[in-house]
Amino acid sequence: MKLIKTLAIATALTLSPVAGSALAETPAKAEAGAGEILLAKVNGLVCDFCAQSIRKIVGKDDAVQKVYVDLSKGEVRVDLKPGKSLDDAALEALIRKAGYSMVSVDRNFAK
Amino acid sequence: MPPRYLAAGLALAAFAAPASARPVSYAGGWTLMQDNNGMYSSLHAHYSPTATDSIGLYVEQNQEMDTTFTGLKYTRLARRWNAPQSQGNLYLSLGAGAADPFGDGEAQWGSMAGVAADWETRRVFVSYDAHVRDYGENESLSHAARIGIAPYVAEFGALHTWAMVQVENTPDADEPVTVTPLLRFFRGPLLVEAGYTLEDEEFLLNWTWRF
Repeated sequence: MKLIKTLAIATALTLSPVAGSALAETPAKAEAGAGEILLAKVNGLVCDFCAQSIRKIVGKDDAVQKVYVDLSKGEVRVDLKPGKSLDDAALEALIRKAGYSMVSVDRNFAK
Repeated sequence: MPPRYLAAGLALAAFAAPASARPVSYAGGWTLMQDNNGMYSSLHAHYSPTATDSIGLYVEQNQEMDTTFTGLKYTRLARRWNAPQSQGNLYLSLGAGAADPFGDGEAQWGSMAGVAADWETRRVFVSYDAHVRDYGENESLSHAARIGIAPYVAEFGALHTWAMVQVENTPDADEPVTVTPLLRFFRGPLLVEAGYTLEDEEFLLNWTWRF
C-alpha cells in the first residue's frame, strides 16, 4: 500500500501543470520550394492518443514530411515532401487506418 | 440481487464507460496498461494489427478471487462513432489462460469476457464496462461506470487533466458497490490515473503507455 501511495504522489508531481507546461507545436509557415500542404478536417479527434495515432500512421507515408494535429479545430495539417503528392483518397485511407474519419481536404489554404 | 443494486446498475448503464483507457491502438501500435486497485493488479501488454483489434498478454493478480490469471486477451473495437466534437467506442474482449489459485491449489483453465463503451468530448467523459471472470472454481461479475470532467481544454502535447468518479459493482465482493474519485493525467503517449476507493480504503493507480 505504501508503494502505491508513493507512486501516486510521484506521478502527480511529475505530471503537474508546471511540469507539463509544454505548448502544442506550431506548424511552420509555407516556404518557397517547399512541398504541398494539405489541411484535412477530421472527426473524432478528442485526445492525445488520437493525435498520436494520426501522426504515426500519416507520418509513415513516403510522401509526408510532417504532420500537425489541432485538436481544438479538428484539423490535421500534412506537409508533403517537395515533389511528392498524396491524393484525397490516399489521405482518407491513412486517417481511416488510424481510426478516424476524414470529412474534407483543403489544398489551397496555404496559397 | 437487491433492488437498490439493480437500480444502481441500470442507472450506471445509462451513463455507459470503461475502466481501461483505449484498449485498441492504431494499426501497428503497442500499448502497456497497468491497473492497481483494491480488488486486483493487472498488466496488459498488447499489439494492434489494425485500428479495430488488439491482442496481447494479460496478467492479473486478483486479491478478491485469490487467483493469478495469466493468458491472452483479444479486444475488438466493435464500433466507433467519430463526430466533429466527440468520439464514442464499443469494445468487446475475450481472454483465456491459466488461473492459478493462491496457495497450493492446481492451476486451471480460466477465461474472461467483457464489454465496454465510452463517449467523450474534450470536456466530458462517460463510460461503462462489464466483465465476467471464470477462474476455475471462482467466478465473478463486475461492472463499472465513470463520469469525468476536464476543468480546462489542453492542446496536443500539453497536460490534460480530468476529474472523474468511478462507481463499481461487484455483487460477490465484500463491498459490492464502491465509489472511487480519481484524477486522470494525460500527456502525449502516457495516461496516469490516481484515485482512492472510499469503501475499501484502497488506492487506485492505473497507467497506460502507447508507442
